[in-house]
Amino acid sequence: MSTKVNLEPSFVLHRTPWRDTSLLIEVFGAVSGRQGLVAKGVRGRRSSRAALLQAFQPLLLSWRGRGELHTLTDAEPGGKVFPLLGTALISGFYLNELLVRLLQRHDPHPELFHSYQLTLARLQLGEQLEWSLRLFECQLLEQLGYGLILGHNALDGEPIAPMEDYVYVPERGPIPAGQAEGIPIHGRSLLALSEGQWPLDEAAPETLREAKQLLRYSLASQLGPKPLASRGLFQSMGSK
Amino acid sequence: MTTPLISQLIESLRCLPGVGPKSAQRMAYHLLERDRPAALRLAATLQEAVEHVGHCSRCRTLSEHALCPICASPRRDSGLLCIVESPADVAALDQATGFQGKYFVLMGHLSPLDGIGPEEIGLDRLATLLDEEPVQEVILATNPTVEGEATAHYISEMVRQRGIRVTRLAHGIPLGGELEYVDGGTLSHAFNGRREV
Repeated sequence: MSTKVNLEPSFVLHRTPWRDTSLLIEVFGAVSGRQGLVAKGVRGRRSSRAALLQAFQPLLLSWRGRGELHTLTDAEPGGKVFPLLGTALISGFYLNELLVRLLQRHDPHPELFHSYQLTLARLQLGEQLEWSLRLFECQLLEQLGYGLILGHNALDGEPIAPMEDYVYVPERGPIPAGQAEGIPIHGRSLLALSEGQWPLDEAAPETLREAKQLLRYSLASQLGPKPLASRGLFQSMGSK
Repeated sequence: MTTPLISQLIESLRCLPGVGPKSAQRMAYHLLERDRPAALRLAATLQEAVEHVGHCSRCRTLSEHALCPICASPRRDSGLLCIVESPADVAALDQATGFQGKYFVLMGHLSPLDGIGPEEIGLDRLATLLDEEPVQEVILATNPTVEGEATAHYISEMVRQRGIRVTRLAHGIPLGGELEYVDGGTLSHAFNGRREV
């Protein structure tokens, strides 16, 4: 089956040099999802495409071809660049690593594309960096078909009470503390994640910690045993 | 038709960058028909270089000595340290700028998605170097790609913790270029980094 795509809003997730002057790029398209493309002759002295085909730059890409890898035919800037700096940049790599590891090629994920864009904008503003990553992880799991149950109790379907203690049982959901084994989490943290709302200030450190534990555990079963390199980078920066 | 040995030679030449089947064939015939002494010299030098060229123990660039000529030179200022991604960058900067300090060559950049972390680019070695030498300024000359930027950020944190001054090469419009044709990223960098005249 041959494909022809014309100027689709996309982001480059990763690129590797290929042959002398070409690049292999892994892109995330708004309509087509993750795609592997060959960008021929873009690393040459006379081409400014290599500067364009960078991560975190909104692009309009055209490609065509058949089979697994397609050929890039056109690339234009698709909006203002997200100039990520410092920790936000490493966070951006983390998003890209998650997408490359977890998305299948040619699987469309328009909603996830939207939240990717939103998360990049948040990273750029440097606001609530960690929380933005957690919300994106929630979205990612949801889109992969492993969404977390956050709004109601998995035992009897009652809504989550903010002041209650729960445990999150993998593959079941939140259950009042003491009735099962799982990851401990407060009701207000579950609700904050479910509504995508920044938690109240006095509870924020606790919510961030609990959300991180819950999502790290939930992602781990999708990612398998190979560790995330960008997470390692975060940790070595913290310890340096 | 070529004989097996000639085919093997052509195939081997193709490992060079920019050499396709046609140019490999031209090179092979040239060496065999016209310049056998040069071919022997090439073979011997290749053999020797591959066996003896290693990495400079101080700056990690390619060198057959324990210390490369730049690191060994007493005329070079140890107070200035320029950090680059590859040995080719050392040559480019040295020719173009008249920089009189020393270098540190990362041999790559941080790239989590390729599994390249701080250790693979010798940052543990850089940390000892910063502790041992009287470095006053570190100049970050990594490439202006997102990976190069991440590398620069990571190193700048390392350097700043030691109370050493860090600078980064400016990004801007190429000389003789026209604004209209410059990509948006470069243009916005150049705009934000504008200077008083």
